[in-house]
Amino acid sequence: MTDAVPMLELRGLRAAYERIEVVRGVDLAVGEGEVVALLGPNGAGKSTTLKVIAGLLAPTGGEVRLAGRRVNGARPEDLARAGVCLIPEGRGIFPNLTVHENLRVATHTGRPFAELEAAAFERFPRLADRRAQVAGTMSGGEQQMLALARGLAANPALLLLDELSMGLAPLVVEALYEKVQEIASEGVSILVVEQFARVVLGVADRAAIMVRGRITAAGPPESLAEELQTAYLGGVS
Amino acid sequence: MGADDVSDEGNRVERFKSEVAGMKLRDPALKRDRALLVFGAVLLGVGVAVAIYGYALSHQATDDQRQQLDGITIGLVGVAVTVVGGALFLRYSIAQFLRFWLARLTYEQGAQTDRIVDAIGSRSTQDPPAG
Repeated sequence: MTDAVPMLELRGLRAAYERIEVVRGVDLAVGEGEVVALLGPNGAGKSTTLKVIAGLLAPTGGEVRLAGRRVNGARPEDLARAGVCLIPEGRGIFPNLTVHENLRVATHTGRPFAELEAAAFERFPRLADRRAQVAGTMSGGEQQMLALARGLAANPALLLLDELSMGLAPLVVEALYEKVQEIASEGVSILVVEQFARVVLGVADRAAIMVRGRITAAGPPESLAEELQTAYLGGVS
Repeated sequence: MGADDVSDEGNRVERFKSEVAGMKLRDPALKRDRALLVFGAVLLGVGVAVAIYGYALSHQATDDQRQQLDGITIGLVGVAVTVVGGALFLRYSIAQFLRFWLARLTYEQGAQTDRIVDAIGSRSTQDPPAG
């Protein structure tokens, strides 16, 4: 990462559901066009961290900073309008709408729909074949492609991906992460949360391991193999 | 990456920075949510009391039509306040319930992870050394 102001920076971030603290002082930064992977076992607080960044959950402490500005308390719709896009676990598409209709939902940005749809089909040609198909009847990989295409239609600057690989075959996951790398090369900053690390470490510029609400290790992906084993298989203190 | 891509990238980042700089912020809404929940519950109670009072007032005034009309008006105001209070209470109690539900899921997942970690740990200590 360069010395430039990071697109996203978390400083001592804390978050809780009522009295149960789930995120306990997380420090993390994502630079411009950088892919950062946030890894860790189930219940570590990864998805909650994304919810706080997207404004869906108010932090109980610390700071969320976007492009250098503290944005604690910002409304999710304002953050989305600014260019923060969360693709949640479970894809967040409308399963009873067609691919075409799902993409049409993303036209709130004021971008012409034809242009938006053409860009989505250029990036994900398989969606063009499924244009009139009800999204809920597509394969998991195609649904995830649609979720990405719809998120990118808003031309985001910061993309938050929650468990992109969930329930997908390894080959599909690899293909999706190739797209993620392509998106990052266009200058989009990406924070990706994953429980299963192997594929995401291949595309991430940096990674951090989160266990029980805290970052236990961070650095280049190749330096984290040992810490990952500890986080998943024991040695959790 | 072509010239257009570079320009798109620059635009995207600049747009993001300017949108973030112009964003209006508010304080975290937790305290406000709780206040509105309590306010809704109070309105609900007050509305019911006012409606009952209006009903009683209109019934007592058997000969005075003006008092009856006043009683009916007060009763209707009470019903309206009850509806508003009920809506506020429902809105903010459901939000609280959903947060609790998420907290429970998170807690259970955490506990399950702990059990798995413990099980793997105890198994590895019980395994006899190879060879």
